Amino acid sequence: MEKQESFNKFKRFYQDNKRMPSYAELADLLGYKSRNSAYKLIKHFIANGFIAKDTAGKIIPSNLFYSTKVLGTVEAGFPSPAEEELSDTMNLDEYLIGNKEATYMLKVRGDSMIGAGIMEGDMVLVERRSNAKEGEIVLAEVDGQWTMKYLRKKGGKAFLEAANERYKPIVAKETLNIAAVVIAVIRKY
Amino acid sequence: MENSPLAIGTFPRAILHIDGDAFFASCEQSRNPALKGKPVVTGKERGIAASMSYEAKARGVARGMRIFEIKKICPEDIILPSDYETYSLLSKRFFSIVRRYTPDVEEYSIDECFADLTGLQRPLRMSYAQIAEQIKRDLDLELGFTFSIGLAPTKVVAKIGSKWKKPSGLTVIPGKDIHLYLAKLPVEKVWGIGHQTTALLNKYGIRTALDFARKSKEWIEKKMIKPFKEIWEELNGRSVLAVDTKEKESYQSIQKVKTFTPPSNDERFIFAQLSKNIENACIKARRYRQAARGAVIFLRTQDFRDSGLETRFSRATAFPNEVIKIIEPAFKELFKRNRQYRSTGVILLNLENQENSQMDLFGSHLIVEKMTRLYEGVDKIKEKYGKHTLFLGSSFSAHRFSGHEGDRGIAPARKAALFKGETKRKRLAIPMFLGEVN
Repeated sequence: MEKQESFNKFKRFYQDNKRMPSYAELADLLGYKSRNSAYKLIKHFIANGFIAKDTAGKIIPSNLFYSTKVLGTVEAGFPSPAEEELSDTMNLDEYLIGNKEATYMLKVRGDSMIGAGIMEGDMVLVERRSNAKEGEIVLAEVDGQWTMKYLRKKGGKAFLEAANERYKPIVAKETLNIAAVVIAVIRKY
Repeated sequence: MENSPLAIGTFPRAILHIDGDAFFASCEQSRNPALKGKPVVTGKERGIAASMSYEAKARGVARGMRIFEIKKICPEDIILPSDYETYSLLSKRFFSIVRRYTPDVEEYSIDECFADLTGLQRPLRMSYAQIAEQIKRDLDLELGFTFSIGLAPTKVVAKIGSKWKKPSGLTVIPGKDIHLYLAKLPVEKVWGIGHQTTALLNKYGIRTALDFARKSKEWIEKKMIKPFKEIWEELNGRSVLAVDTKEKESYQSIQKVKTFTPPSNDERFIFAQLSKNIENACIKARRYRQAARGAVIFLRTQDFRDSGLETRFSRATAFPNEVIKIIEPAFKELFKRNRQYRSTGVILLNLENQENSQMDLFGSHLIVEKMTRLYEGVDKIKEKYGKHTLFLGSSFSAHRFSGHEGDRGIAPARKAALFKGETKRKRLAIPMFLGEVN
């Protein structure tokens, strides 16, 4: 904990002065009596990868230097939890997409899935997968065209069902050729 | 002796070569079921076949064949403009999938890579062949078309393996079996052995890859230069070519070529085309912080005859206005009023890193500094508003139309199927399924 605080002070020096402190300055900053203590601390920081030395032997910031968070810069003196908590959030891409390499998109045509809330012009994200489960909305190849329907099973035989009464179920002559499973529908207004 | 193995053991190293089957054509077929099982050719915008599906290959279409010839021999062919954006997206996914298994991946080209699996059996709890199988399963399933893989102790032999059975093959060549694969393989089929070397090797009675591999070390040392010694080592199952995982950081030369239709003999228009190519080549050079010491320009006529000239610069430059001024006399010499031209091109040569480029004796230091500042500004504007927002006056007529008139001017289907919020310049980085969706 003590070291963490020292590092925060160290880092703030860098932020304020846009350069690294000398041993004397660091000793001064941390209230050490000798420069040797400052030297030892620097060695510790280097060993932990918080800072590094360049070829000329001068200390420079490392990658860790920036990612180590300076907590407690709030004026009231309490550490701000906001920054730490943000590490448990995700962006929209991560939320929508599971397997990035297997995800594709397509534009919806027609109204056969209107009952499932999928409308003409919607963007649909699909994932190429080896197995699709009953009840999932799948993308299948039928007669050289994509078709998007619910996957249903009856008596061990799979068929495709629209979410619109005006469309008849599709039963494949041989095997159903399922290419991908729908994982998200996106509509931008 | 004839049947004795070249190497003992199986995999002192385990190298994969993975090759996408008919990559561009397969990208097209996998996203549009209407194209499946049909002869598909890409490269419409260039006027020549860049890639063709196996159905098209079976009908005699070959790479580099001209589109009007293809229409003659195979009228049912579906000929599409290249959609490099989609091919690049899928290429990146190809490499990411292989990297799930090993970080040692060399992106050899858009549709090929090498991967080093050495030492991964235990951590992955699979044999090398099983890892290769698993990678192939992932690729075939997630990209929606097939890949061919060769597994061997060296890169050169792995490359023989990936070609052995195509499409969708997986050929495992352990060290002790290499000789079986080389026995019937003509030596010119080996990666890195070209026409000239083949002719030389034939003079010594070497016809097959095995003939070459069986030559003694002394013979190789005496007769061959380094790259062929390495190939000889690799054919003998000794890995000397490492899988190179470094990303490309610099180039030795940069080439930009662009075809236009209909062909033209309008001098100003042709020069504008060349000027645009020079600008694009310079943009790329500046992006890698490089500058050229010379350039070759060339013109190609309608009947595919090339003429070119090389020029040298007094100092390295990546500023198009300077290059254009220097090559203008060369262009005047090349250009013939009575010819119809179909493409122009430029190759920037002897690229060097800008940090250590030297000034010439005549003290152009100040000019260079000024130009550097100017082009820093130009590049910033381009980054913000698009590559072609700022260009030289000499390129003007090349920017006025897309490069192709008539049916070759058709943009890839993805560019016409935009979502709300997507623009001509920026689209989502997710490949799109095309065709009718019902």
